[in-house]
Amino acid sequence: MKQDKRRDLGVILLVLCTLLMLPLVIGQSHYLMSVLMNCAGVAVIASGVWLTFCIGRINICQAGFALIGGYVTAILIAKVGLSFWLALPLSCLAAALCGALIGSVILKLKGIYFSMLTICLTEAIRLAFLNGGSLTQGAKGITGLPQAFAGDSALPLYYIGVALLALALGVVWRVHYSRLGGIFRAMRLNEDLAESFGVNVWRYRIMAFAIACALGGLGGSYFTLFTQSIYPQSFTVEHSIYYMLFCFLGGLEYVSGAMIGAFALTILFELLQDFQQYQSLIYGVLMIVVMLTLPNGLMALKPLGWSRPKGATQ
Amino acid sequence: MLQILINGLILGSAYALIALGLTMVFSIMRVVNFAHGQMYMLGGFVMYYLYGQFGLPFWLALLLAGLALGAIGMVFNRWLFQPVLASSKREESSMLMAVGTALLLENVALSVFGEKQRGVPPLIDGVLILNDGDAYLPYSNLLVALLSIAFIVALLLFVQFTKPGRALRAVAQDKEAALLQGVNVKFITTLGFAIGAGLAGIAGALLVTLYGVNTGVGTNISTKAFIMIMIGGAGVTSGAIVGGFVLGMAEAVGYDLLPSSMTYLLIFVAMIVFLIFKPNGLFGKPWG
Amino acid sequence: MMRQTSPVILEARGLSKRFGGLLANDDISLSLGTTAGLVTSVIGPNGAGKSTLFKMLAGFCVPSAGRVHLFGADITGLAPHKISARGLVRTFQETTIFPELSALEHVALARQLSRRASDLQIFAGTAAARRDEQRMRADALEILRFLDLDSVANSVAKTLPHGYLRLLGIAMGMAASPKVLLLDEPYAGLNPEETDRAVELTRKIANSGVSVLLVEHDMKAVMKISDHIHVLYFGKKIAEGTPEQIRNNEQVIEAYLGKEDEDIGL
Repeated sequence: MKQDKRRDLGVILLVLCTLLMLPLVIGQSHYLMSVLMNCAGVAVIASGVWLTFCIGRINICQAGFALIGGYVTAILIAKVGLSFWLALPLSCLAAALCGALIGSVILKLKGIYFSMLTICLTEAIRLAFLNGGSLTQGAKGITGLPQAFAGDSALPLYYIGVALLALALGVVWRVHYSRLGGIFRAMRLNEDLAESFGVNVWRYRIMAFAIACALGGLGGSYFTLFTQSIYPQSFTVEHSIYYMLFCFLGGLEYVSGAMIGAFALTILFELLQDFQQYQSLIYGVLMIVVMLTLPNGLMALKPLGWSRPKGATQ
Repeated sequence: MLQILINGLILGSAYALIALGLTMVFSIMRVVNFAHGQMYMLGGFVMYYLYGQFGLPFWLALLLAGLALGAIGMVFNRWLFQPVLASSKREESSMLMAVGTALLLENVALSVFGEKQRGVPPLIDGVLILNDGDAYLPYSNLLVALLSIAFIVALLLFVQFTKPGRALRAVAQDKEAALLQGVNVKFITTLGFAIGAGLAGIAGALLVTLYGVNTGVGTNISTKAFIMIMIGGAGVTSGAIVGGFVLGMAEAVGYDLLPSSMTYLLIFVAMIVFLIFKPNGLFGKPWG
Repeated sequence: MMRQTSPVILEARGLSKRFGGLLANDDISLSLGTTAGLVTSVIGPNGAGKSTLFKMLAGFCVPSAGRVHLFGADITGLAPHKISARGLVRTFQETTIFPELSALEHVALARQLSRRASDLQIFAGTAAARRDEQRMRADALEILRFLDLDSVANSVAKTLPHGYLRLLGIAMGMAASPKVLLLDEPYAGLNPEETDRAVELTRKIANSGVSVLLVEHDMKAVMKISDHIHVLYFGKKIAEGTPEQIRNNEQVIEAYLGKEDEDIGL
């Protein structure tokens, strides 16, 4: 395995193992558990954004698909009475289908046109749920969903979160490091070249986007489960931007990037409780600083002690 | 019917001004100024304080709003955007930088000004009644529309007939060629960004007299500006103007017939459908 | 008695392309005949419309008028990947290639058309997908060997000099198993030694049964390699024939008037 890939895997395994063990130490603190569940959910959603970067699109509509996932879960549980074991995968599927449908239309756009459109799309999805009548209950949202697991312990939901995170990372890993990832990279660098050796670019774009939206829906669904509610403003354009920031901070070259960025920033803000009201402002400053200093994100920094093998790529 | 037309035209002229500022920055730097809405908001606050609170003459406050935002634009360009455009290989970087500046401006404003909605008394009292009561046109609305058009025309003249204006067009068309022709591209880029930001500030300063302003209005305005650019085409002045009037009319018609949130949902859907057939807007060139 | 005639390999009839006010190609017709393995060149001064013609043939540009037929089937306006699947493959002028991947990895990626595992199998990493990948890598190595590039198979693309990158582009084209290969300025930026080598390899490709259509500015190379030449000038075709015929064609000489004889190799 190449050096970089090994490092990527190492980071992922380290974080997942730590997450598996942490309840032994902090399992009693509902607060800390909920912070980590938050991180896991956000990381799942952000890894979808990471995937769209792979096909060369700046995706600012991920919040919209998280919202779709969340609402479908809420509606399936509250109105249809399904258990969350079914609602979760169905929401994921719903988000994927919406993603494929919408993607088939908007993915022909590139660059800023695509990004501006995704902002408008996020808003449109929010408005759609706001105007959904009795199904979505408008601005009140859907609240008071039953607890997923009986009893006081946050552990079961926590482990589901870790499992979903592992699933998301697994999906992104397989896509990125297989021939599919090579195809996506080819499409990003030179679409015509990819077409010339037989790649149906349109189809692969939709595939990548649908997977990304599925991850968004999965994360959104998980949020609805552990907050037991969903509102039209649960996921906004601002959240979409945060997901992008996490990817950039964590590094776009490594599959673990979205997860690292998500955990690092979310935990950081929890630690800096007093500064919570300035969260948005600090994210803004961070974005600016990151862009000025780390064009390739945190993961591109070589930690001390890792020797560079001779003749390796940078 | 007439009322809708009038509302549409008034809104359209103000919107066109907003879109022009955004498209100016894009055409020069290939950067979408995500903070455009926030700059509009700041322009509104400048007008609120200078004219509404301190009693400066309206025209002076308007000019100062434009200059203040122009200055901010220059600072952002010099210290934030130029370094990123120079150093980063990824095109995403300048876009994310713009997003960062938007968050920065909005939250600084929030900390300084608070959440409250601010308003300014109308510039001129009184209403023009048309067609025996078919339509009402408040004089202040008319004034804002006329001033917007005046600024649009001034910009078009500037870009067409003055030396720096022509340099702006040259850089927008072909940076390399402009450089070879001896244009000081760095200065022109700064000028372009300053004008774009200044126009946003002026638009905000004008519209605060009609609709008031609060620190959260930025995203909304930016989103509208994006819609206009996508419909009309990015980087082209005709695109911005047409986009502005199209959105103005669409809003006027929509608000008359539907609840406001439905209006925008339909506008978004219509825009997506439109983009299927015209992915670069009406007049835009492909990008990306 | 039914006479089985071989289909015409590639035929363009009346191709035109208009960009706004500009007529880039005006009523171009050409045919590669029915004999496989020949080398045909399209030449002309800058702006003559050669690139646009190539784009229309390979599906990257929809003609404003005219049709393209590949082995008798109408392929006009088909998506490029479909045209590649039918055996018409185009290479590219720009050497934008993945800097971090090795030459072998490039060509293995370009073997995409020959893959037998489905995308789902590839995603899941099944044994079938892994075997398929190994087969494609072996094929890629064969192709590199065929083009004398096997010595740099494991070299990372960003370390390769320009001459090798050009050949790598051709290798990627070959990976798509073409019956017709469109080479877009394959000798651009090569020194005389590299050019000779590239010309030899072009002949080797043609001899293996692939019909080659190339666009080039290097007249010496064109005269050496071509079995047939078409000349474009300001969007129109002004002549076609063997190198000898083109060399003596009045119109062609006039079109190139003002250029140094050495430059144009006539």
